[in-house]
Amino acid sequence: MTRFAHAVREELWSRGRLIESRLSHGEAFEDEHGIVATDTRDDALAAAAERELDRLRAVMPGGFTVRLVAESSTEGTTGTITVRTDTLSLVTDPAHIREDVDLLHRSAASRSAGFQPAGPPASSRPVPLLWLNGSASVLLHELLGHPLEHGRESPRLPPWLHVDIPLSMRRATFRDVPLLRMQHVRATQTSAPFELPEERIEITLIDSGMYDPLNDTIMLRVAASSIGAFTIQEPRTSVAFIGAHGDPLRYPGVICSREGQELVVGSSAPVLLTELR
Amino acid sequence: MIYRKRGVVARWENGTLIRVTESGVAMEEGEYFECRPESSSRRVVESSRVLEVARALRDLPTERLIVTHGVAEHECEGRTWRDETDRIHLSLVNGRLRALVDSTAGRLDDIFTIADALARAEQTERDAPTRLRLAANVTAALLPHLAGRAPSNVRVVQTAGGVDGYGHDIVNAADHWPNFYRPSYRVRPVRMPFNLRLECDQTEIDRDRPIAVALLAAIDDLALRVLVIDGARVYPTRVNVTAISAVAKEREWYPYGAGVFGAEVML
Repeated sequence: MTRFAHAVREELWSRGRLIESRLSHGEAFEDEHGIVATDTRDDALAAAAERELDRLRAVMPGGFTVRLVAESSTEGTTGTITVRTDTLSLVTDPAHIREDVDLLHRSAASRSAGFQPAGPPASSRPVPLLWLNGSASVLLHELLGHPLEHGRESPRLPPWLHVDIPLSMRRATFRDVPLLRMQHVRATQTSAPFELPEERIEITLIDSGMYDPLNDTIMLRVAASSIGAFTIQEPRTSVAFIGAHGDPLRYPGVICSREGQELVVGSSAPVLLTELR
Repeated sequence: MIYRKRGVVARWENGTLIRVTESGVAMEEGEYFECRPESSSRRVVESSRVLEVARALRDLPTERLIVTHGVAEHECEGRTWRDETDRIHLSLVNGRLRALVDSTAGRLDDIFTIADALARAEQTERDAPTRLRLAANVTAALLPHLAGRAPSNVRVVQTAGGVDGYGHDIVNAADHWPNFYRPSYRVRPVRMPFNLRLECDQTEIDRDRPIAVALLAAIDDLALRVLVIDGARVYPTRVNVTAISAVAKEREWYPYGAGVFGAEVML
């Protein structure tokens, strides 16, 4: 029999005002007959979640809608901060919040300046896509990660691109059935120089993504790019990797939802150039 | 405003049985919302109903099968009530077609009809027939999207009966939805129509028309991708719901949003 237990503290702040506060805790025992779950409290986990929430609250930025989630479980303690403007959001942590909020300010300013109108789907534009800021990790999340969870074969990657996506059984809450999920997506490159194409779409933030195992297609809603917001909906086979440069960059925030269970998936990738074929 | 809930739920989720016992309290004060668990003891969770449904559906080509049965006791400002949830969420597949179904244990006949049609379906999309019927389960999924934008000859209304998330009576209403939906003590109640139904003066349905028996994709605006039985033929098609010519009198309840009464419709 296996046991999972956790405690979660969550707060929602709107421009410096606390508007929602939640505590959740419980444990689940699993054996060959299934899972029995109750909201039993583990005092040590509840105290650890409270301490983690204090840590998140101490670095919380003002002027935004901010969700703080502190979880302490039998698998460790995590803290995430989701920062949202009217149209953009990202997920960060105390170590990176300053640089990530700067990025959000820059992206929001460029959108409100209006010089990047929303464009048509990228598939109608034979223009290379330059994935900045670690955003290529979200592409790889949908292109490789979810198919891996479904036991699908990965498309052949160029020899200069290495992608590490370990899977493990994970669950969002004690009420959930554990599923085979990504732990993280870490892409690295070795010697893949490319000439920067004059015409290109530069992608900085992704709103959401999806993989459809039935049709083997991916969908990505790009939230911030050099042409504004747009959607990519393509068969997996149509993505071609042209080149990459630099060290992996941490992408600020992938909250992955599957079967209604939202989990944070740490993600990083170098700057990547792709084409849709 | 203080609300308390104690509940048990049994869920069959893609081959795993999970039984959950929990209780909690939620407080609202102006714009502030707070919730936390309250001491709950382990209680017996009856799972025979979900196992029975899972067994009945086990031979279908399911990509996803979630069967839920729960019982909950509620208390809010001195009002107490009890309710049961009975829900089936599944997707059936054939080739590149996926039928999406939300139903109840009392409507397994819908599911077998859809499964049979899907097994016979052509993979290639065809043009929609000029006069199409929507089965009650398809209309049920469409109804929440029709609220506030239905064609002028039909009315989307809330049906009185039961209580809402504050324990207030659900009343007849046609707009400014007066009741609040609270699917869990952990979420702030939201104003939402309950038990929606569609009304139309014309109730005669031509049963010889082709019928859309299942959704093949989530509804986008008022655009549907559906599976149509057209005589001996079964095929996928797309249709925009811009006009409704008749709504049958017979209605069945389905678990979309805060509940809807689906009825057969003729476009």
